Amino acid sequence: MDESTVPFYERYRTPLIVVTVAVVFILFAVFVLDINMISVLVNGLQVGAVYSLVALGLALVYKATRVLNFAQGELGTVPAFLVFLILVNGDRSVEIDIGTLSTSKLLLATLIAIVVGAVLAVLVNVLVVQRLADASPVTSLVATAGVALLFSSAELIFFEAKARKFPRFVEGSPCFARDAEGFCTSPLAFGGVVVPWHTIIVIAVLAVAAALLAVFFRTPPGVALLATAQEPFAAELHGISVRSMSTLAWGTAGALAAIGGVLGAGVFEAISPGLMTTTFLIPAFTAAVLGGITSMVGAVVGGLLLGITVAFANSFVLAQNLTSVLPGPPQIATFLVLLLVLLVRPRGLLGKEA
Amino acid sequence: MAIDTPAGIDSEEGMDLGAQHGDPDDPRRIWRPSTAGYVGRFFVLGLFAAFVLTAPFWVPDTQTNILSRAAVFAMVALSMNVLMGYTGQVSLGHAAFVGVGAFSAGFALTEAQMPWMFAAVFAIATGGVSALILGGIALRVRGLYLALVTIAYGLFAQEVIFNIRAVTRGGAGMPAPRPAFASGDYAYFYLCVAAVLVVWVLDWLLTSSKAGRAIQALRDDERVAASWGINVTGFKLLAFVVSGSIAGLAGALFASIETIVVSISFGFGLSLLFVLMTVVGGLGSRPGVVTGGVLFAVLPTLLETAHNAWSWWPFTALWEPLIGALLLILTLIFFPGGIAQQNEHLYRWLSFKKFHAEEHGPVANPGGGGGH
Repeated sequence: MDESTVPFYERYRTPLIVVTVAVVFILFAVFVLDINMISVLVNGLQVGAVYSLVALGLALVYKATRVLNFAQGELGTVPAFLVFLILVNGDRSVEIDIGTLSTSKLLLATLIAIVVGAVLAVLVNVLVVQRLADASPVTSLVATAGVALLFSSAELIFFEAKARKFPRFVEGSPCFARDAEGFCTSPLAFGGVVVPWHTIIVIAVLAVAAALLAVFFRTPPGVALLATAQEPFAAELHGISVRSMSTLAWGTAGALAAIGGVLGAGVFEAISPGLMTTTFLIPAFTAAVLGGITSMVGAVVGGLLLGITVAFANSFVLAQNLTSVLPGPPQIATFLVLLLVLLVRPRGLLGKEA
Repeated sequence: MAIDTPAGIDSEEGMDLGAQHGDPDDPRRIWRPSTAGYVGRFFVLGLFAAFVLTAPFWVPDTQTNILSRAAVFAMVALSMNVLMGYTGQVSLGHAAFVGVGAFSAGFALTEAQMPWMFAAVFAIATGGVSALILGGIALRVRGLYLALVTIAYGLFAQEVIFNIRAVTRGGAGMPAPRPAFASGDYAYFYLCVAAVLVVWVLDWLLTSSKAGRAIQALRDDERVAASWGINVTGFKLLAFVVSGSIAGLAGALFASIETIVVSISFGFGLSLLFVLMTVVGGLGSRPGVVTGGVLFAVLPTLLETAHNAWSWWPFTALWEPLIGALLLILTLIFFPGGIAQQNEHLYRWLSFKKFHAEEHGPVANPGGGGGH
C-alpha cells in the first residue's frame, strides 16, 4: 500500500498507544497515587539529561562503526577523575574544598578532561576496536567491556574504593531574593519544588551538544560520516576515509562521555571508581534502544524519557512505602523499559532499523 | 569444519608409527595410539589427576577454600561455555544465574530445612527456570540486543532480586551450611571436584549427542541449521536451560564454601570476570575454559602471596581485574582461541588423538571449533 493512503491512526499506531497509556498513567499517578509530578520532572530531567549525553555517544559510535561501546561510561569516569586530580593539585589524599573552588579552574579542568576523553576514545578505537574489525559485533562488545574493566580497575588501584566529593559548576539554585545573612528566601521553584542550577546546566549542555551535532551532520565531514554509516564501501569509493570517519565518531563520543562524566559526578556530588558504568551506562544503553539505536534525536528523547521514568519509579516506591519490599526501583524501571522496547518495538521510538 | 579424524586420506598419515591398525589405505580407519602412546597418555592423565586430588595437601590449610572456589569457577566456566562457546550467545550477566542458584540453595537449606542434596537440586531447577525465562526473551532478540538484555538482567538481579529481604535476608546474608557428609574443608573440596567431573561428563555427552551438534550448527548459521530441520528455537532454549542449570549448581556449591550468601558477592564485576575467564580460557574448549576458570579463581591469592613473599613484587589482589582485562583484550586481538589455542596440541594428545592436527586452520576460534 502506498505510504500516503495509510490512515493516520495506522501509521502512528504505536506512538499513539504509548502516548495514551502515558497520559492515563500520569493522571492516575497525580490524582490517585498523589505523586508530585513536578518533583519527578525536576529530578528526572537532571539524571535523564546525563543518560542522554552518554546515549548520544553510544548512538554516534554505533551509527558510525556498528560497535556497541561498553567503555562509554568509563571514558567519562576517567576524565572526571582527572578533573578531581587537577582540582586537588595532584594530591589524591585530600578532598576538594568546594567552598573555595573557583569556577574558572573547574571550567579549565573540564576542558582538559574533554580533550583527554576524546584522545582516550580514539586510542581505544585504534588499539582495540579497529583491530577487531572482522570479528562479530558481540566480540567487539566483549572487548570494550574489557576496556571498561581495565579503566575501572585502574581507577580502583589509584583512587581506592571510596567516594570523594565532586563539585557542580554552580551550587544551589537560582535565587531571586536574599535576606540580610545572604540566605535565599525566594529560590526558583515550581509548585514548591526547588530547581537546582545543576538541572538547568545539564539540560543546557545537552541542548548545546545536540544542536552542535545537528549542525555537524550538515557540514561536509558530518555528511561523510553519515555516508560511511550507511554504506562504508560506497563511501570509500567516493574518497571518504572510513578509518578517519570512525576516529572522528569515537573522538566526538569520547568528548561527550567526558562531559557526561563531569556532569554525572556532579549529580551525586561525589565520584568513585566505576561511577559512570554502574550508574549511567545501562540506563544509557536502554535510552539509546528506547530512542532507536542509530538515531541521535532518539538518544536525547530516550534519555530524558527514561530519566523521568526512573524518577517516577523512585517516587512511586517512596510514596507507596514499598522501599523494603522493592529495592532498586531505578533498576526495575530500566530493565522493564528495555524489555518492553525490545519485545514491542525493537527499532525504538524514532529508529528506522532494529 | 572439524570432522573427527578422517584418517588415511593424506600421505603423511602412514608415517605415524602409532597408526598401524588395519589397512592404512582404508579411509574409514580410525586412528588409535600405539600401546606406548596409551601408556604415555594414561601416565600424564594419572599424574594430573593425582595433582588435582592432592592439591589440598600442597597449599596451607587456610587456603583450601580457594581450591573449592577454583572448582566452582571451573564449573561456571563450563556453564558459560555452553552459551558462548557452543551457541555463540554472549551472557554478560552470568553472576545473576550463579546468584540465583546460591540464594535458592541458601533459602532451601535455612528456611525450608532441606537436606543439602535436595537444596542443590532446587538450585539447579531455579537456575534452569530463570535461564528459561531469560532465554524466552532471547529468542525474540539476538546478538547485541541479547547481550544488552543479559547485562540489564544481571544488574536487575544484583540490585533488586538479591536485595529483597524476605527471600535473601538483605545485607546480613543467608546462611548456607555444608552437607553433613562434606562439612570439612578437604571433604568439601572433593565434593566440588566430583561435581565438576560430573558436569564435564554431562557436557561431553551433550556435545557428542545429536542435540549438541544441532546447537553448534545453529551457532555457525541459524538459517542453514533451520534448513536442515533443526528446531532453532528449541535448541537455543535448551542451551540456555543447560547453562542456567549448571550455573545454579555452581551457585549452590559457591554458597556453601563460605557457608553464607550475601548479595554483594554477585555484582557486575563478577559477571565480567566470568566472561573474561571463559574467553581467555578458550571458547568452545572444555579443558580451556576450565583452565581459565581455575586461573582466575586462584589469581588474587597468588598475587597476594607473591606480594607478601617478595618485597619487589608490586601487584596485589587489587590488580586481578586489571590483569584479567588486559589478558582479555590481548586474547581477543592476538589469540582468539585463548589458552586452548596455546595448548591445542597437548589437549589433543591427551584426548587420545594425534599430537599434530590433520586438518589445518584454526582449531579453536571464538564461536567456532567447539567440542574438542
